[in-house]
Amino acid sequence: MTHVKIKNLKKSYNGRLVLKNLSLEISSGSIVALLGPTGAGKTTLLKCIAGVEQPDDGEIYFDNVNVTYTPPWDRNVALFFQTYALYPHMSVYDNIAFPLRQAGVNVDEIDKMVKFVATKLRITHLLDRKEPSTLSGGEMQRVALARTLVRKPRLFLLDEPISNLDAKLREEARTEFKRIHREFKQTIIYATPDFVEAFAVAEKIAVMKDGEIIQYDEPINLIRKPVNRFVATFVGSPPINIVEGNLVRTNDKIIFKSDAFEIPLHKGKQFETLPDKAEMAFRAQSVLINPVQPDHAISGKVLASEFLGHETILTLLVGNSKIKAVVKGRSKFTIGDQVSFSIDTNGILFIDPRDGKVILV
Amino acid sequence: MQNNAPKRKIIKKIKKIAVYALVIVVVTYFIFPIFWLVGTSLKTRAQAFSTPPLFVWEPTLRNYIDIFLKRQTEIEAITGKELELATGAETFFFNSFLVTSTSILISTLIGTLAAYSFSRYKPTGTNTLMFFILSTRMLPAIVVAIPIYFFYRYIGLYNTYIGLILLYVMFNLPFAVWMMKSFFDEIPKDIEQAAFVDGAKPFKVFYKIALPQVYLGLGATIGFLIINVWNEFLFALLLTERATRTVPVMIAGTRGEVGINWGLIAAIETIYILPALILIFLLQKYLLRGMTFGTVRGVK
Repeated sequence: MTHVKIKNLKKSYNGRLVLKNLSLEISSGSIVALLGPTGAGKTTLLKCIAGVEQPDDGEIYFDNVNVTYTPPWDRNVALFFQTYALYPHMSVYDNIAFPLRQAGVNVDEIDKMVKFVATKLRITHLLDRKEPSTLSGGEMQRVALARTLVRKPRLFLLDEPISNLDAKLREEARTEFKRIHREFKQTIIYATPDFVEAFAVAEKIAVMKDGEIIQYDEPINLIRKPVNRFVATFVGSPPINIVEGNLVRTNDKIIFKSDAFEIPLHKGKQFETLPDKAEMAFRAQSVLINPVQPDHAISGKVLASEFLGHETILTLLVGNSKIKAVVKGRSKFTIGDQVSFSIDTNGILFIDPRDGKVILV
Repeated sequence: MQNNAPKRKIIKKIKKIAVYALVIVVVTYFIFPIFWLVGTSLKTRAQAFSTPPLFVWEPTLRNYIDIFLKRQTEIEAITGKELELATGAETFFFNSFLVTSTSILISTLIGTLAAYSFSRYKPTGTNTLMFFILSTRMLPAIVVAIPIYFFYRYIGLYNTYIGLILLYVMFNLPFAVWMMKSFFDEIPKDIEQAAFVDGAKPFKVFYKIALPQVYLGLGATIGFLIINVWNEFLFALLLTERATRTVPVMIAGTRGEVGINWGLIAAIETIYILPALILIFLLQKYLLRGMTFGTVRGVK
């Protein structure tokens, strides 16, 4: 149980700013995901928290104690490396036992703990393997995970810990993280580029881009109230639809006009400050095919149809825009068909094209 | 297609024969001097000088016995003059061994630690320092030979083991630092960082994590250093007298005006090149891929 506070953290490599004045507070005993594309600074942030990278500026606090200059071996955190970082000259067993040996745990206890975690991750048969470099990607990842989970640190830092596992093991690993979290109430910081993983594991998600935290919020708010175009497009599947157009104000209404359709909207809170040009963003799930009330029906042509087992994703050409729609089950539409649909106005967001910020929710 | 098959087979065979022929030529080129050396060491003085050279003869171990056991050579018996060799070659072998092992131990130790800190801690001015270290190797040794000779005489290091050892350490350090640094540079940083996070302190990370991964490189470095020092002639000649003389100088010293006993010289050389030969055989495996390959995702 450790409360982590990061204040104005800056870190650059070879003159390139990787973390830009980053601040983040993680309450004691919570699971937080760092979500962002490659190069967002997730790994650097984790390494700064672990103490293996020294920030250029800013402070890191564990339970209100400044640990910015505490060496990593005194921080008692466990870090899972995205590259696995297994010790190539040690057997699998010794790899997993290494952190326990550093902590001075006695031999019997080490043996018990190594075997326990190996059983959990189904790598007991690998324990005697001399060279970890001969393991497969998934096996290496599990060994590295075992080395991380065998400890009882004050803080777990996991850098894309399950990206290389097969779907079933991935599911189980997630459950294992949650179990550890439930049992020991440990604080876990979990970096991933996959929003599904972040949603499945985390209580709160920090969306990162170019060394900055764009939005730090609960998962549901990232979907419902993204702060800008980046969050709206990065979170959710299929990617959010964006249509360019103009906002036309009348006495009691706002009308969004694109090249192919127009949608009347009710007055929002920010009615007065609306720009003339705007991007309308809406999820594929908000597209209602074959609307019951056809007054505001929009027409589009099917460009592609992907059946994913439980649902079908249709790509529609509407004017100059491509719009994705999700249909339950197998869709009867084929490529070239004309489809009429409406958009659920509750799920619509507007983005100011000048700065990419979401302006009306 | 089928008509071409036998033709292709013949071409393949010719290629194979050509490769083998080339290998035989190259191997002969390198092995022949060694073969001739060993052969001469098993000949008597008369056999060694015979023209045309003898390819078949009754081998003798006389020269080998002479090196260590006999205190008086044939030449001395005839001329009554004492040759340097006659005092016993074991002293010179001991000198060579002492100077080589000590200087290599020191240069490897300092070189490895320096290389690790250059590779990992990158102190201010690393590049300049690394260039400076390299620059000490740019000057031909002969250029500094005379100043070093006078300097050594002046400070009393002339004709001492310490003097020769220090000099070899100085000459070998740049090589050790550069070579070991390149091996340390190859270890992914993440592996050491993982050890830090796992609770290991810097020195432990160095000897438990980093060093075992460059064992092959360390072996190769030591191998090259041994060859360097073991064969060094110039400074050993300049800075030593009888008491501290090494084998290469001693061999040269046997070429006196009374005649050259090639058989004896060949025997000394045969013994002398043995460690180097064994080392070269051992070095072959250092050419293999380093151990760090493959344990880090993306580095294959």
